[in-house]
Order: sequence, then structure tokens, then C-alpha cells
Amino acid sequence: MLPSFDILGFLVSWGTFLGIYAILAISLNLEVGLTGMANFGKVAFYGIGAYLAASLSVYTVLAVYHVAAAPYTTEGIIALGKYGGASPALDLGIFAASLMLGFIIAGCVGYLLTYPTLRVGPAFLGITLLAFGELLRIFLLNYQPLGASKGLSGIPHPFLWIPDPVLRERLYVLVVLGFLAVTLWFAERITNSPFGRVLKAVRDDEVAALCMGKHVPRVKATVLFIGSGMAGVAGVLLAFYMSSVNPNMFVPAVTFNIWAMVILGGMGNNKGAVVGAAIITFVDRILTFITPNLGITIITPDYIRWMIVGILIVLVLMFMPGGLVPEKPIKTPAWEAVESLEKESKEGGSGGGEA
Amino acid sequence: MVNMDAYQVLTAVHIALIYAVLAVPLTLSYKTTKIINFVHINFITYGAYAAVLLYTFLGIDNVFVAIAAAFIIGGIMGVIDNVAVFEPLSRRGANVVILMIASMGLWIFYKYLMYSVLDVLSRVAKANLVSVLLRFETLPRVVVGGIPITSAFLTAAITAAALALMLYFILEKTAVGKAIRAIADNPTLAEISGIPRSRVVNVMWFMAGGMAAVGGVLWAIFAIATPEVGDTLILQVFAIAVIGGLTSLSRTALGAFIIAFAENLGMAFLNQVFGVPTSFKPFITFSTLLIVIIAFPPLGAGGGLPYRFLRKRR
Repeated sequence: MLPSFDILGFLVSWGTFLGIYAILAISLNLEVGLTGMANFGKVAFYGIGAYLAASLSVYTVLAVYHVAAAPYTTEGIIALGKYGGASPALDLGIFAASLMLGFIIAGCVGYLLTYPTLRVGPAFLGITLLAFGELLRIFLLNYQPLGASKGLSGIPHPFLWIPDPVLRERLYVLVVLGFLAVTLWFAERITNSPFGRVLKAVRDDEVAALCMGKHVPRVKATVLFIGSGMAGVAGVLLAFYMSSVNPNMFVPAVTFNIWAMVILGGMGNNKGAVVGAAIITFVDRILTFITPNLGITIITPDYIRWMIVGILIVLVLMFMPGGLVPEKPIKTPAWEAVESLEKESKEGGSGGGEA
Repeated sequence: MVNMDAYQVLTAVHIALIYAVLAVPLTLSYKTTKIINFVHINFITYGAYAAVLLYTFLGIDNVFVAIAAAFIIGGIMGVIDNVAVFEPLSRRGANVVILMIASMGLWIFYKYLMYSVLDVLSRVAKANLVSVLLRFETLPRVVVGGIPITSAFLTAAITAAALALMLYFILEKTAVGKAIRAIADNPTLAEISGIPRSRVVNVMWFMAGGMAAVGGVLWAIFAIATPEVGDTLILQVFAIAVIGGLTSLSRTALGAFIIAFAENLGMAFLNQVFGVPTSFKPFITFSTLLIVIIAFPPLGAGGGLPYRFLRKRR
């Protein structure tokens, strides 16, 4: 069907998107699956990360090489293309700085937003964060220093100094997957820690958690800080991969996509979030490879794709509420001790019967 | 200058009336079922497109026919959602967040279903259906005290008044309305007292969906109809419903006026005095929303901890 299907190229592009979306899905899972905070504004923190990386890198490069043009003008973009790959140290430095700042700034915005939103219940929280996401997009659409509707382009790839573009992409996918591994490890550590069990207590019954002496608002604010920070990192990774950002990359549908991953994979389970992200990004990548070969269709394939995702969510919620990888109880040392005791008593009981 | 101000006030009132028609049903459905319903966005869009398609394919330019058609389409959508998704889910004990996500799934499904249908229909009709200007002139233009009142304004005012009367009559004077209010107060108790809950909730969804769709028609003849019309209004509609605390219909209607005036007159003021570009209008809506949440956090089940346990003011 497809004579020149580049398997490795496909895997590299899928791996990059998988890494970015899996980080987002894990962060959403921390907020929704573990703490029960319906974050419908995930895209805002993702966008903050991406725009932070974009603006930091283009303005720094232009300032270092003393170019007077603004980055959103044609001269600015040409200058960025000229100087972008000139210095490995600068490119890597910008990349590292963006990642750190992306985490901190997106996290702080999330933390600050808890001040108004902790006053409202889970349903209102979703609306307020959704509104915040839309607001951010409208701001970016109209704010000229960040390129307004055209966005910023010419973001220097961290490996732009490597002449071979294929090798560059392969190195980058390793970096992204490395960040995914770190995020997954971190999220698993949180889930299996006493703090993780506090989160589950808050999810299952806020009032009970409060009565057990847990500071519920502070717990929620902490989770929103961590989750938003992770989303910010994913945004930074996206910006350097795409090498351009524009406001229409951050529509509410993106948030919905991440929700679909978390629900499909199973809420309350970090590995489930990764599985969900893998499936949905795989289908998306396949579609982007296939769609151009379809020619003109009566209905745009993208619409069909979204309709299927929408109905899939409803069906999973109705018929498979646990998702593909259902949540399992946490193996604490105490729980393991109880389990082994139960096992022993069962074995002992059957042995006693024989004797 | 004076005339100009009167015109601005009139526009603000016009928008406020439409917002009220859009936001009151959201409050009604949340109050009764505790579902934050994202399909509300689709009710608006489908309502607007009921008018567009009637006009394009049948040439009907009577606004009241369009309103009736939109009411029926929106109502049927509301009932289908409830029967197919919300009722089975809540019967299984799904919490607020799960119901909200399910409605979000339906929102995306309906939205792209609309896009797909329009793809096919615009090929059939060989016309642009993606952004349509509808200017129905069923009602005459009138001039009151030197201020010209458009046909769209008159339609909005009459429809909003009729819907308000209908809602008041149904909720206060009929048995169904009493049942709806009982379910909103305490669903379990209502069911125990012999109220056929699912049937009553279906009636409520029909009303809520229908009203929102009518709001869509009113918006389409005032501004523009696009497949994104509901999505562009979502911020305002949710902000208004939150001002109403998602419990009080009359406070929601008041919220519609607050948001519409803040958006239009407040923006005009900021624009003239401080030179703020008008594209920053949504910020006013969001700041109003935040101020309301900070100053009057919703109490009771809608509130977060520890605000849930605050004593009622006043």
C-alpha cells in the first residue's frame, strides 16, 4: 500500500509524541486519578511551558548575536535560522534552562490558581481551569511580543549543531523518552509513598481525609504544582521538537485528548496513563502517515478521528470503568505482611486438615 | 454621543437577554442532576444550525419556525444524552467528575458529528455552511424615543420573556415542576415519595436542551452561525452559571446582565480611557468569574473544602 514506508522514521516520530503526551497523561493522572481534581485546563500549563521555551530561546539567541529584529518578523526568523545552530553550548544551555524554568513557572501558575479554585468543589474547579486555558489562548492570540496569531518560529533545536537531521531527531527522541522515564519513576514514587495514599484518601472522601488531620487544600495545591510543572516540561519538549509554537496548538481539544488517554489507560494508574498515551498517539501518527495518501474524501478524516475518540470515552466510562490497566492496591510493607500471614494461615490450615 | 451610548446599552441588554436564555438551562440541569453538562455547547450550536439548515434547504426565514425547530432538536438531544449516557452512569453511582468527563466525550462527539454532516451538506447544497450570517426580519424594526430597535432585539426580548414565563409557570404551577424541584432538593427522598425520577428528569432535559438551542438561534440572528458558536460562548455561559451558584435561576439571569454589561460597557470604558484593545474582552469575563468565586465561594455541595462548612452569610 505504502511503497516507501520508513519504519524507523515512524518510530522516532511516534516515540517523541508518545513521550510528550505520556508525561502529560501521567501528570493528569496524578491530579485526576489520584487526587480527584478535575483539571480541564491542562492545556494551559502545557502552553505555558511551550511558550516559555519558545520565547526564552528565540529572544536569547537574538540578543546573543546582537540582532535588532523582533523574532516574529521575517528578518528575525532568517536570523534565527542563520545563528540557531552556531553554538552547541548555547543551544543545550537554553534547552536546560527552559526545562527548569518551564517546570517552575508552570508549577507556580498552577499553585497560584488554587487560591481561587480551592473555594469551589470539583465541578467548578474544572470550569475555572477550562476558562483559564481558553483565556491564555486568547491572550497569546493577541499579544504581539509572543507573535500573536502567527506564534513564534525558528526555535533552535538543542541538537541543531549536528548536521545530520535524522541523527538529531533520534537523539531528541532519546532525550524525550528519558524524561518520560524520570517522570514515570517520580510519579510511581509519589503514588507508592504515604503522600500518595493521602492523595487517594482525598480522592475517595475529602471530608474523611480532613477529619483524619490531612490538610486537604494544601495537598491539592501541592499536587496541582507538581502536575502543572510536569505539563510545563512536556510543553518545553514540544516547543523544541516542533521548532515553532502558535496559539492554535493549545485549544481545549488537546486537554480532552489527554483525558482520553488517562481514561482509556485506567484512572489512578501511572502505567495505564502511559498505555493510553501510547495507543492514542500511535493511532494519530498512523493517521498522519495515511491521510495524505487518501486524496480528497467526503468527510475530513480528522473529524472521524475525533468522533471516535469522543464516543470511545463514553463507552469506556460506561462499560469498562477501570480502563485497560485497572488500579491495583498499593503494596506497602504492612500490606505485604498481612498478605503473607493470610497465605501462611491458609497453608497452615490446609496442612492441619491433612494431619 | 448620547445616542451612541444608548445604542451600546441596547446592545448590552440584547446580549444579556441571549446569555440569560443560554445560561439558565445550564443552571437548571446542574441543579437537578448535578452534571456539569458540556453538551450544552452542542445544544447552542445545533440550535443555531437548525435555523441555518431550515433557511438554506427549505428557504424558511420565519424566525419563530426556526426557534420551534431548535427547541425540539435541542430537547431531543438532551433526552437522548440522558437516556443513553447520564442515567446509566449515575445509576451505577458515578461521581460528579465521571459524569462531567462523559459529557465532555459527548461534546467532542457531537461537535465533530456536526462538522462531518456539514462537510456532506455543503457539498450537496454547494454553499458555504461554515460561517453563515442570518438576518431574519420576521418582526418589524421599531423606533422608540429616537432609538432604533432591531428586529433581532425584539425577537430576543419576546423569546426571553416567553421562556421566562414558561419556566416560571412549569416550575411553580405544575406537578412536573414541583417534581423537578423536589429532585433538585433531594433526589433520594423524591424517589421514595413516589416521583418517577427518570421520567421527570427527561422532561427537565427536554426543557434545558430546548432552551439552550433557542439561545443558539437568537445568537445566530444577532451575530454569526459557525460550528464553533457554542464553543465561543462557553466561557461566558459557564461564568454566568457560576455567578448564579449553579443553583438559583434568578441569580443566573442576574449574572447574565452582570457579565454582558461588564463585557460590553466595561470594555468600551477601558478601551476609551486606557486604550485596552477590545480583543481582551474575555479577560473581563474571567476576572468577574474569579472575583465572584473569591468573594462569594459557593457553599454546600458545590463548595470546596473548607468552604463547604462555612456558615451562610447574612
